[in-house]
This record gives sequence, structure tokens and C-alpha cells, in this order.
Amino acid sequence: MDKSRIRNFCIIAHIDHGKSTLADRFLEITDTVPRQKMAEQYLDRMELERERGITIKAQAVRMQYMATDGEEYRLNLIDTPGHVDFSYEVSRSLAACEGAILLVDASQGVEAQTVGNAYLAVESGLEIVPVVNKIDLPASDFEGTAMEISDLLGIDPGEVLAVSAKTGEGARELLDAVVRRVPPPSGEADMPLRALVFDSSYDSYRGVVAFVRVVEGEVKRGMKVRFMATGVTASVDEVGYFSPDMISCPGLEAGEVGYIITGVKDVTRIKVGDTVTGREAPAAEPLPGYREPKPMVFAGVYPVDSDDFTDLNDALEKLKLNDAALSFTRENSKALGFGFRCGFLGLLHLEIVQERLEREYGLDLVVTSPNVVYEVVDRGGGVTYIRNPSDMPDMGVVKEIREPYVQATILVPPDYMGGILELVKERRGIYQDMTYLSGRRVEIRCRLPLAEIVVDFYDQLKSRSRGYASLDYEHVGFLAGNLVRLDILINGEPVDAFSIIVERSRAHEYGSRITKKLRELIPRQLFDVPVQAAVGGKVVARETIKARRKDVLAKCYGGDVTRKKKLLQKQKEGKKRMKMVGRVEIPQEAFISALRAGGEEKPR
Amino acid sequence: MSALAYDIKSSTAVVRAWGGNVKVRLYLHWPFCRSRCAYCDFNTRVASVGYQEAYRTALLAEMGMWASMLGRAGKTIRSLYLGGGTPSCMSGDETAALLSTAAERFGLEDGAEVTVEVNPATWAEDDYARAVFGGANRFSVGVQSLHDGTLRVLSRPHGAEEAMEALRAALDSGARSVGADLLYGLPAGCEGTFLDSLEKLMGLGIHHLSVYALSPGAKTPLARMAARGEVALPEDEAVAEEYLAAVEILVRRGYEHYEISNFCRPGHRCRHNLAYWRREDYLGLGAGAHSKLGGLRFWNERSLLRYLRTIGEGRLPVSGWEVVTGEEAREEMVMLGMRTSRGVSERTVSHSSGRLRELARGGLLDISGGRVKLTPRGMLVSNLLIADLLWS
Ligand SMILES: Nc1nc2c(ncn2[C@@H]2O[C@H](COP(=O)(O)OP(=O)(O)OP(=O)(O)O)[C@@H](O)[C@H]2O)c(=O)[nH]1
Ligand code: SF4
Ligand SMILES: [Mg+2]
Repeated sequence: MDKSRIRNFCIIAHIDHGKSTLADRFLEITDTVPRQKMAEQYLDRMELERERGITIKAQAVRMQYMATDGEEYRLNLIDTPGHVDFSYEVSRSLAACEGAILLVDASQGVEAQTVGNAYLAVESGLEIVPVVNKIDLPASDFEGTAMEISDLLGIDPGEVLAVSAKTGEGARELLDAVVRRVPPPSGEADMPLRALVFDSSYDSYRGVVAFVRVVEGEVKRGMKVRFMATGVTASVDEVGYFSPDMISCPGLEAGEVGYIITGVKDVTRIKVGDTVTGREAPAAEPLPGYREPKPMVFAGVYPVDSDDFTDLNDALEKLKLNDAALSFTRENSKALGFGFRCGFLGLLHLEIVQERLEREYGLDLVVTSPNVVYEVVDRGGGVTYIRNPSDMPDMGVVKEIREPYVQATILVPPDYMGGILELVKERRGIYQDMTYLSGRRVEIRCRLPLAEIVVDFYDQLKSRSRGYASLDYEHVGFLAGNLVRLDILINGEPVDAFSIIVERSRAHEYGSRITKKLRELIPRQLFDVPVQAAVGGKVVARETIKARRKDVLAKCYGGDVTRKKKLLQKQKEGKKRMKMVGRVEIPQEAFISALRAGGEEKPR
Repeated sequence: MSALAYDIKSSTAVVRAWGGNVKVRLYLHWPFCRSRCAYCDFNTRVASVGYQEAYRTALLAEMGMWASMLGRAGKTIRSLYLGGGTPSCMSGDETAALLSTAAERFGLEDGAEVTVEVNPATWAEDDYARAVFGGANRFSVGVQSLHDGTLRVLSRPHGAEEAMEALRAALDSGARSVGADLLYGLPAGCEGTFLDSLEKLMGLGIHHLSVYALSPGAKTPLARMAARGEVALPEDEAVAEEYLAAVEILVRRGYEHYEISNFCRPGHRCRHNLAYWRREDYLGLGAGAHSKLGGLRFWNERSLLRYLRTIGEGRLPVSGWEVVTGEEAREEMVMLGMRTSRGVSERTVSHSSGRLRELARGGLLDISGGRVKLTPRGMLVSNLLIADLLWS
């Protein structure tokens, strides 16, 4: 294929602005997917994606397009997720493209991930094709949105296109603009092979499938290749492209996007970000890769039934094959037994992993409230990372506790700015600066402890802005704080699964919130049960679960003992779902929601 | 299981298996009431006289089926209990006839207790005497309260004065024992009426008292009203205090507290009901009635139509059964035995003695002479406590 007829681009946007729907129109226009097979958000192929209506994994697809200039082009499209937890998927996709469609919902305007993803694309040197979507909506404001985009990118508002991904209006014009504005790939086919592994998946029969963007040279079936970072050599069993199913072909040339299968089964040997080269005529330098996303949010994952521990272990291992960002290590909780401390990119990631474990592997789980990772410096200057608050050493030996911070960008209409600044302050944020985007929106930049985001920052952000504020963030490292471990004691016994790390000045506030919540969550028992929150042995909050006073059956009629027995049986089953801590029965529920503040709404 | 089902439904095998020495307590169920009370979700209904006639015929037929089976095996009823619903929807004479038929067909042990439940809204004075003439020697009167206001809230079909008259008639009828039911834990506005009713009943010299906490059945009018906030039901704390006060008063006045909800003057325990708690054998006839023979528990069709149809086809209307052995029998023993003042033997509960002492120290259990029993405070939380005793 003549390289000048190839265009590699991705669609980036804030969550829900219509990326996957726009991709549907492209698939139709180019007849890539037969009409009868077409479905909404066709590229969202995972069951979970379809159910939740969101994209979790970036998806590539090759399309043939007859442009209005009369030429036929080969388009490689990558649809990306909008949620901040998966922004690393966006960065990877960008590395495989020369251009990006930046999509903005005409009824919402520019939002935080619009800004975040746009900057990522600019940094990667991509040509950006800005588009306003959903112009069919009555509430759409094309002019205003185009102005915001022009402010954001420093371009002429006239360059902003308009589409309706729903009706297809403007979609052809958009593809023509992509063909015109996005440059063709530049590498040469006669150079030594350099292909970037931008993603991977695992097939239980064929092993690791490496998604590649060939930058220089070509890769062919049967060829011997080397992965430059890991040093693994292998021969290429299959080469192909995405349609979006995998279609095998003889080879891929410089500028093309596709996959290779080498028969390597061990996922750790093929790393995303690595460069593939030929074993015979290797390239001298690898391509710039990317940093692996590091899990920052941790939670204990325990089987409800301790007999399921091995099953859980197997399931996590399998999930990890397709989800490099997931981490897990064994841990043992006094309250919950054997389980794992799992690391996630964020709350949505956690939720998705939990759902997959429960659904695809049929496991019944207790997932503790999430916490962040802490960097602990001891008196001797040694540094350790604490992923479970109950592992936090005694304050006596600790010199400093550092917690992860994020660089946050909040976009909010000026009317709600005051409330949001207030929130940032309450949540220990470090305010940096503020910019007005075309008078409709203020961009607030600040640093925030990740721990605050993990709690309920997002819910608060939404509720204090009537849903208009949006948040984007990236990790920026650890900062020292005045932090302490808050322990929860039930009936005088500390319950490890409830320990959290909080700022010293807020220990009382957290303590009383958690003890109150536990008082509601733990059913009344035969005796009074004290619930205390303590820092270093000093009680900072206390509640009492009053003993149950009345739990007796009414009249038993004519010797109907079975009804009573059924009731008792229910109690017996209920008991099984309780964890015994000392003499106190604690429902699974408590471990999941005691530390969770605010409402049930999850960040999206 | 299916073989067993076959046995129960179609042959006398089950009964024969009990050998020649069958001694049962017989329960007869009368599933009709004059009107439905606001809190009640029992197996009862308001029906025409004709329907009740048909039921009576079916009940007699069921009696016949069992009598002929038991007849071959020996015949003795240790006690007879006619309950409901409202069996006093029948007249005193009809009741007497039913009781005599049962006694004739099965044979009654000498001095057997024969109870009839009576709703104060039903009988005239001489109905009681007629029932006694037919063999009744114990009445259990569904008083619930002796206050008009409270009775109205509960939408009982009678007033306080009517209830007093019924009690006097029962006491004068020549019956050996008269008992009354009372409800506590009454809605806001009825404060004090429970203890006051209790006082009045003791003043009458009533022999037996059952007190139950009002707990409106799901979807009953009272439950709906409570959900809508039109009626305020008291907090558990207040209900518990009321119960404890009643226990205290009754015991002080010489009543034995022999089961969670039951009190009596010495010699007046209801032996029929005690049999349930002691896991003795009983045979229940009528729609939805439950039976226990040895390790076998079974129960009749609850649906009246299906009950009538099955009997019409000449079959026993048994709709379910279970065999209770081993661990389950132990669980039953604890569950039922702990309700009585006798309690259970220390061996039967699975607890470490440490936990038992802890519960005793907490004032919930009483341990003496190798037996464990509930204190009044323990009785109030008997569900929790029994689960604890069984499975902790
Ligand atoms: N009215 C209207 N609705 C649209 C349009 N485009 C997308 N939508 C709707 O917007 C919602 C989100 O669309 P998606 O295509 O899933 O958005 P996305 O950007 O891929 O979302 P993520 O992948 O989760 O970030 C869906 O309900 C679409 O039907 C449009 O042009 N007009
Ligand atoms: S009289 Fe008894 S059985 Fe009949 S409706 Fe009232 S409470 Fe229910
Ligand atoms: Mg999508």
C-alpha cells in the first residue's frame, strides 16, 4: 500500500461525548462491518462495556475509505476510553497515530478530559481535528463550544467541524478532513524493522497478541523478531489487522497498525511499550516507549467463603493477562481471613475488576474500602511503601508519611467556582492557578491528595456544581503530610480491615463518621457493643451498639413448627455471611461501606 | 421421600409403624372468623354459613380417615384442641357435636384436656355450657384487650364489656380452666391499656394468660397504616419494658411463667400447647394444620379449596412433610425447649461453658441443675439467643 494513502488516527474526548458512536458511523460509511451485524457502539466489545455504555479498552480498526477527492485511503482508527482511570490507554493509542479527532459534546462544552486528552495529543505531536458532536440535540451550542475549543487549542474557530454521531450528519466531511489534515505516516519500509507494541491481549490458545504500530521496516509472517526491552526472541506465527476482528495478512509495512502473534505465552515477556525489531537486521535504537501505569489505589479483596481462595487466585491471574495495570499480592486479615491486596488505577478500575471477578468467575467477594499507597520514611531513613493501612508501623519508628498527590484540572462554570474552590481547600488541595475559557468555563488547576479523590471528592464536585464540574488528573508524586493511622476497635478489639490513614487534625471527624456508620451497619447483638476509633491507643470517637431488646416470635399456631424453623434457618444462613470478630458478628457490608463517605454515586 | 409421601397419603403404613401404642394430641382447625382483625395474617377467612358447613363435613371426613387408621393401632387422645380462626363461629351445640364426634372416633384419655378457642363476639352465655356438655373443659378467650379504644384500633369484632361477659360466662360454665389472650406493644394512644387489662383479668381470677407482642402481619391494614405513619408502633425498648413489667406482676400474683408467652395459676398449664414445645406427638386436622409423629412432621393443604377438593376425592390432604433427625432434631429441641421454663439440658446446647456463663452473667440465661433456661430478658431476645446457643 502506498503510504501516502494511509491515515492513522484516534478519537479522543471527555467521557460520553460520543467517540464510540462516531466510530459506528465511520464503520458504516466505509462498509467495514456488514449492515446486519452493526450494533450501537460496535467497538465496545466487552460485555461490561456494552452493559455500562462506556469504553474501557482502546479498540483499533482498519477501514477502506473512498474519499471525495476520488482516491481510496486506508484508515486506521483507534477508539479510546474517556474515563480518567484509563487515560493510559489514550497515551498508548496516541503513540500509534499521526492525528486525533478531538470530539466535544455540543451540549456540554469543553470538559476536563477534553483538556487533558487534547494536551496529551499536542505533546505527542499529533495533528488535531477538532469536532463538535451531538449537534442534533436541541440543547446543543455549536458556536459556544467551537469558541471554547479554539481558546483551548489556540486555533481559528472556523477550523472546528460539526457532526452528529447519532444521525451521521457531517461524518463524511469529517473523514475527508482527516484525510486532508492528518499527515500520512513517515517511516520507510526498507529500513530495519521498528514496531511499537502499543497494547496487548491474551488468547488462551495462542498466547500473547501484541498490538503493533509499524514505524519503520516491515514485519512478515514467519519472520524472526526480537523484543528489544525484554530481549525475547520469537518467530512471527501470524500477522494481521483489526476489522475489528483479527484478520490475518502476509505482513505489515511501515505506517501500518495491526497485530502479531509469536506463540509467547508468558505475558511478562511481551511488554506494552516495547519495540519489536528483526533478529537478522536489528534496529540500533528502540522507539521511545511509555511508562507502565502504576496502581495507586489499593483494596483488600477477599472471598466470602474462605474455600474460594484458590479460585480467586486463579481468577486474578487470568484477569491480569489482559489487564497489565492490575496488581495483587496475598494478604491475611484477622477479620477477613486470606485474600489479596489488589492495586488499581482508580475507583472505576476497581469496580470493573470486582464485577468481572464476580461475574465471569462466579466469585462472592468482600472488597474493602479503597486506600492509596503511602511512602513511609523511618527514623533510619529507610523508605517503604504501605498498601494496607493496617501495615503502617507504629508512629514511634516513623519519621514521615508521604502520600500521593495528583495534578488536577477542574473545569467549572464561573457560577459554581466559589463552591469548588472551597471544596479544594477542605480537601487539603494546593491551589495553583485559574484560567477563564471563553467566559463560559473556568479552568482551576490545583494539587490534591489522591486519597481525597478516592474518598468522595468526585461526588462532592458534582453535587456542588449541579453536575457541571469535571475533573481530570495525573499523578505527580508523593508529598509529606501530618498523617496518622486511625484504628477501629469493636468490643475492645482492633479490626485490621477498618484501619485507615488520615490527617491528624481530621482523625476525630473521620473516627466519629466511621463509628457512627458502623453503629448503623452492625446489627444489634445480645449485649452492648462499644465501637471506638483510636489513634495510637488514644480513643478519639466512640459509639455504642445497644443490645437488642426484643426479638421474639409471636404466637405459634397449632403446632406449626416449620415456620419457626424456617426463620431460624434464615438466621443460620445470615450468620454464615457474617464475619466473627471476637464475639461480635459483623456483616460483609460493613467492610465494604463503613469507610466510604457520602452517597453511592461513583465517579464516571 | 416419595415413598413416604405415598404412605402418608394413601395407606396406614405410617400409623402402623407407630405400633399399637399410638397416643396423640389432636388439634382441629377452624379457619373462619366473623371479620378479619387489622393485624392478622393467619390462615383464616370470613365465609358464608354454607361454606363453613362444607368445611365441617370435610373435617369430619378427614377425622374418619385417620380414625380408621388409628383404630387398628389402638386409640387414645391425650388432649383435644379446637382452634382457629374462630371455632366459636359454630354454635355451642355444633361445637359440642364436633368434640363428641372426635372423642367417639378416637377415644379420649380419662381427664384429657379439651380446649375450645372462643371469640367474645360470638357466643351467648349458654353456648359455653353446651360446649362443656359436649366435653369441653377449657376455654381460651381471645380478649386481646379490655379497652374499647384499643379494640377499635385493632378492629376486633367485640368491645370491652362483651369480652368481660364472655369471660364471666366461660368461668361460670363449669369448665376447669379459662384462659385469655392479651396483646402488648400496642400502638400510640393505647398506653397503659395492656397492664390495666391484665389487672382486670387477674381480678376475675382467670386461670391462664397468654401475652403476645402485637406484630402486624406483612400487608395487613395495620402494617400499611404504620408504614404510612398513620399509626405509631412503639419502639422495641418500650415493648420490652412492658413485657418485663407484665412478667413481674404476674409472677408476684402467683402465676407461673411456664413458657415465653404463657402464664397460669398452679395446675392450669395448657398441656396441649406444652406438647408442641416438648416435641410430643400430635395430629392436626383441618386446612393448614400441622402434625408430628415421631421424626416425621407433615402438614395439610393451606388452601381451603384444595383441602376440600382432596378430601372430596377421598385422599388425605397432606401437602408437605419432612423427616427430622440427628442435628435437626437437636436444633428443634433447643428452639422449642428453650421457650419453656424447663429449658434444655446443658448438654444439648453446643456452647462452651464460658459463653454460657457470659450469657448468664449478662442476665439472659439461667443455669442450674444441669439445665439451661431463659430469663425473662433472655426470652425477649429468644430468636437471637437460640441462634447463638445453636451455632456460635
Ligand atoms: N443525541 C446524540 N447523542 C449522541 C451523539 N453521539 C453520541 N451520543 C450518545 O451519547 C452517549 C455516549 O456515547 P458513546 O459513543 O458511548 O460515548 P464515548 O465517548 O464513546 O464514551 P466513553 O467511551 O465511555 O468515554 C450515548 O448514549 C450515545 O447514544 C449524537 O451525535 N447525538
Ligand atoms: S379473630 Fe383471630 S384469627 Fe380471626 S381475624 Fe382476628 S386475630 Fe385473626
Ligand atoms: Mg466509547
